[in-house]
Amino acid sequence: MSHSDAMSPPERAGQSGSGWPRLVGAVTMAAVCLVIASPALDAHGVSTKDARYLLSLDGPAIIPLMYLGAKHMVTGYDHLLFLVGVIFFLYRLKDILLYVSLFTVGHSVTLLAGALGGFHASAHIVDAIIGFSIVYKAFENMGGFKAIGFQPNTRLAVLTFGLFHGFGLATKLQEFTLSRNGLVTNIISFNAGVEIGQFMALTAVLLALGYWRTRSGYLRHAYVTNAALMSAGFVLVGYQLTGYFVVGR
Amino acid sequence: MTEKHQTTGAPNPVAAPSIHTLLKTTAAAMSVAAVLLVTCVLPAEYAIDPTGVGRRLGLTEIASPTLKVAEPLPSDSALAPVVNGPVGLYPAEFKFDVFEVVLAPYEYIEYKYQLEKGATMLYSWHASAAVIHDFHGEHSGAVGEGTPEAETYDKQQRQQASGSLTAPFTGIHGWYWENPGGSPITIRVTSSGYYASSVEIHSDHTRRVHTLRPANALSLAPEPPATAGGQ
Repeated sequence: MSHSDAMSPPERAGQSGSGWPRLVGAVTMAAVCLVIASPALDAHGVSTKDARYLLSLDGPAIIPLMYLGAKHMVTGYDHLLFLVGVIFFLYRLKDILLYVSLFTVGHSVTLLAGALGGFHASAHIVDAIIGFSIVYKAFENMGGFKAIGFQPNTRLAVLTFGLFHGFGLATKLQEFTLSRNGLVTNIISFNAGVEIGQFMALTAVLLALGYWRTRSGYLRHAYVTNAALMSAGFVLVGYQLTGYFVVGR
Repeated sequence: MTEKHQTTGAPNPVAAPSIHTLLKTTAAAMSVAAVLLVTCVLPAEYAIDPTGVGRRLGLTEIASPTLKVAEPLPSDSALAPVVNGPVGLYPAEFKFDVFEVVLAPYEYIEYKYQLEKGATMLYSWHASAAVIHDFHGEHSGAVGEGTPEAETYDKQQRQQASGSLTAPFTGIHGWYWENPGGSPITIRVTSSGYYASSVEIHSDHTRRVHTLRPANALSLAPEPPATAGGQ
């Protein structure tokens, strides 16, 4: 992509037209979109038919597990929102590959280690941390760390949050008593599916962002967009923390 | 301008906002999230509705749905009893049923029998872990003005129950079971009674009608198996 050189100089974010009503309006709209979309999507839960299928498994099933992994990634809005945050300001293919690889390495490690090693954690807490990763990335994109004069290493952050995302996947899989028969093959297939799904989702996000970047409003609206992203992250955090106290585990 | 990012810095071409703007925006993002959580997400997901907005918007229904049977079940008016003192006489034989289901985390199911008014059944059910449970009946056909369509007999978290039911009205009578989360739960029901049919209704709104076995299908106690441990 060659948009990077054509971009206009950075604007003073948050000063040009960040009047309260406009800001709140945009944030509300984005968050409402998220909520409306959520029943159709299936955040982290494995839908009941898929769950029954997983429980019925006894032996390796490479293609079905790859499909489920890919489906999980493509329909998991929390992963997608985080990815949008990560690549929001990445223009060069080299950077995108670097950051996405860090994320991939992170979640593969914990998915495989968690599901095979049997590490347990509260799915609600892990999902709340995933929600927080969206808040974090949005805050960074808003220039928050520049403003407070403290910038944690971005690569390390993406890697760390990748670890949590993978741990979330592993925890969800472990809610089902999966047959030991073919477990390693199945978990690796699931992970491979997750990568395929991530690649497809990323392509879609990049196409959308790539188009949007050619418009003059991209940088102007970057601040508000990331504020909306942050709000969606807060919704996920609140949703999962409440789940932790209400449903337990 | 060409971007050359420092190794640790955010690849972010947008200049930093003032601390004041940043705080304002973060507070706005949090407030919007809080409002959405309290009015929409929590009512819909957990039936927690402190403001009452969720109920008004119909969102609490999602957390605790009341299912309605679309078409009436096969019924049999011959299964209505003629009461003669302590005896209820039926012109047909009783039937029996064994039903087992595995509920994935957060999944629910309804399982109900079609009973005529006054008809009796005996039941025992057992779950591998405690489930959210509502034993209730629903009228078949239209109900009069002011009469509720459904009536709850027992509603609380249970792991098992045994009892008898004499149907207070003609309709479907049975259980709503929900897995509160965690691991899959197996539920097994055994019953006998003067019912004509049963229906299972799943979380995904699929339903399946069962035709039940007549009592004369029961055989004498089976021969003990010749060798232990065989299939």
